[in-house]
Amino acid sequence: MIERARIEALEERARQIRRDVVEMVYRTGDGHPSPSMSAADMIAALYFDVMRLDPANPSWEGRDRFVLSKGHACPAMYAALCGRGYFPREELFTLRFLHTRLQGHPYAPKTPGLDATTGSLGNGVSVGLGMALAARIKKLDYRVYVITGDGELGEGLIWEAAMCAGHQKAANLTVFVDNNNYQSGGTVGEVSGVYPIAEKWRDFGWHVQEIDGHDMGQILQAVENAQRENERPSAIVAKTVKGKGVSFMIGDNSWHKRVYTDKEYEIAMRELGGAR
Amino acid sequence: MSDQYDSTRVGFRDGLVALAEKRDDIVFVSTDSLKVVKGEPFAARWPERVIEVGIAEQNGVALAAGLASAGLRPYLCTYAGFLTMRACEQMRTFVGYPKANVRFVGVNAGLFGGNREGVSHQFIEDIGILRAIPGFTILCPADGGQTKQAVLASADIEGPVYIRIGSGREERVFPEGTPFEIGKIRVMRSYGDDVALFCHGFVTNRVLAAAEELRRSGVGATVVEVATIKPLDAAGIAEVLGRCRCAVTVEDHNVIGGLGSAISEVIAEGEGGAAGARLVRLGLQDCYGESGFPDELLDAYGMSVADIAAAAARARAGRP
Repeated sequence: MIERARIEALEERARQIRRDVVEMVYRTGDGHPSPSMSAADMIAALYFDVMRLDPANPSWEGRDRFVLSKGHACPAMYAALCGRGYFPREELFTLRFLHTRLQGHPYAPKTPGLDATTGSLGNGVSVGLGMALAARIKKLDYRVYVITGDGELGEGLIWEAAMCAGHQKAANLTVFVDNNNYQSGGTVGEVSGVYPIAEKWRDFGWHVQEIDGHDMGQILQAVENAQRENERPSAIVAKTVKGKGVSFMIGDNSWHKRVYTDKEYEIAMRELGGAR
Repeated sequence: MSDQYDSTRVGFRDGLVALAEKRDDIVFVSTDSLKVVKGEPFAARWPERVIEVGIAEQNGVALAAGLASAGLRPYLCTYAGFLTMRACEQMRTFVGYPKANVRFVGVNAGLFGGNREGVSHQFIEDIGILRAIPGFTILCPADGGQTKQAVLASADIEGPVYIRIGSGREERVFPEGTPFEIGKIRVMRSYGDDVALFCHGFVTNRVLAAAEELRRSGVGATVVEVATIKPLDAAGIAEVLGRCRCAVTVEDHNVIGGLGSAISEVIAEGEGGAAGARLVRLGLQDCYGESGFPDELLDAYGMSVADIAAAAARARAGRP
């Protein structure tokens, strides 16, 4: 049983990440808000509870690693890195501006605390698997967490990596599928033939769980279950809502990439428990 | 494999074994390619340092980027085009861009490397593709011994490295143990300043033979091996061009994007007396090859000793 206080603290972290996403997109005039919202709870759980990190020593060899395969959701990850103290808050609002350390899609050499360069979809499971296998070779006990979108499961490379990780018994690799059911052109069901998702990972030899990706208790429990696996990598298929937390973003896929007006900004921040 | 060859594939394997004896960060990533390079002795000694991903080059490259980010130095060796074409984006965005220390070794380069396999396994675009991607060091050793030396020299380079090798049926060019100096041209013959012959890889002995033939007919050639295509020794090349004022490039690659293009750029930018030098480019004339024996293919596609000598005459005729 996971304590209520632990869950509530993480829920507040997730709300702060969402507020930061709204503020970043509003103030910088660019970015992908609603894909950031669907992943925010998982990112909060990973950065503020699950992962073994030392923000004072970002390149610590023994740290857990995170790979945001759906790199366009990086505003949420940048908010989490900032929340862990990797860089000052004001830097969030340099997103996508010339010479920023916060590139439009994640670039590890520039951003403190960022483990993986991503952005081109479908690559994150492979990159994460490489990190996971490196732990085995270097006899380190760190774990690797990846978040992929559901639309990017259309990339063949995802399944090359899934097959390989199952075969390699990469038990220190955990992949969340942010199953918000939307991709750029519409719902995942309409655009691609990705469903059923859980069965595919299972067929490649993965330990698979299906959860509500906005239920912090379920996220933490799923991670703990994954950590108990000794042989199989873990896939956590998380049902999520694109735009979660802001009413007018839900069900309106134009928020995949869209900037808030003053009015929308005010409403969004109010709904997220921010400025009134 | 017979002893008549100085196999670049075995050269790679021997280089990797020598590196792994000295350092514990060397990893072999195989895309079902371990046996292609006779890597069994490596796998027998260091089974934990072999990662077999199966026939999945994109996964191999992106996974290698993950290994490198954790401080390892992975070597991924498989067919040149399956790396540079199928996994091109992984090489660019996940290795080149973050400056990951991944080493790629591409086999079956050129018509000579792909020979009887035909076009799907003859790679004549790899150098052009990688020259256009920032951050890659591109090495084209001429034989097995040079491949081994290039592998040894590659270990400490920061950022990604590509080493272009062949089928395992290469002739020896240099005496065993000849060092491989990254980033510098090597003048192999200095018979005179009548014409410069630039080359790399498995056409090198042909170029040397053409230089002898030219010499017999009273034309003194300077033969230059350009085994590092990137970073290019532009100053060294310009110095030779400044003396000879005309040149031939010979490469088992498309004439677009490879050595011929690189030297054209040196001439066009006109550094160190290179400006205006006359150039004739031999290689694949923007066409595909076909199946055949290696030497037969080079002859059929305009890279015979006689073709090189004739190209030298054309270059001299247009000399400013």
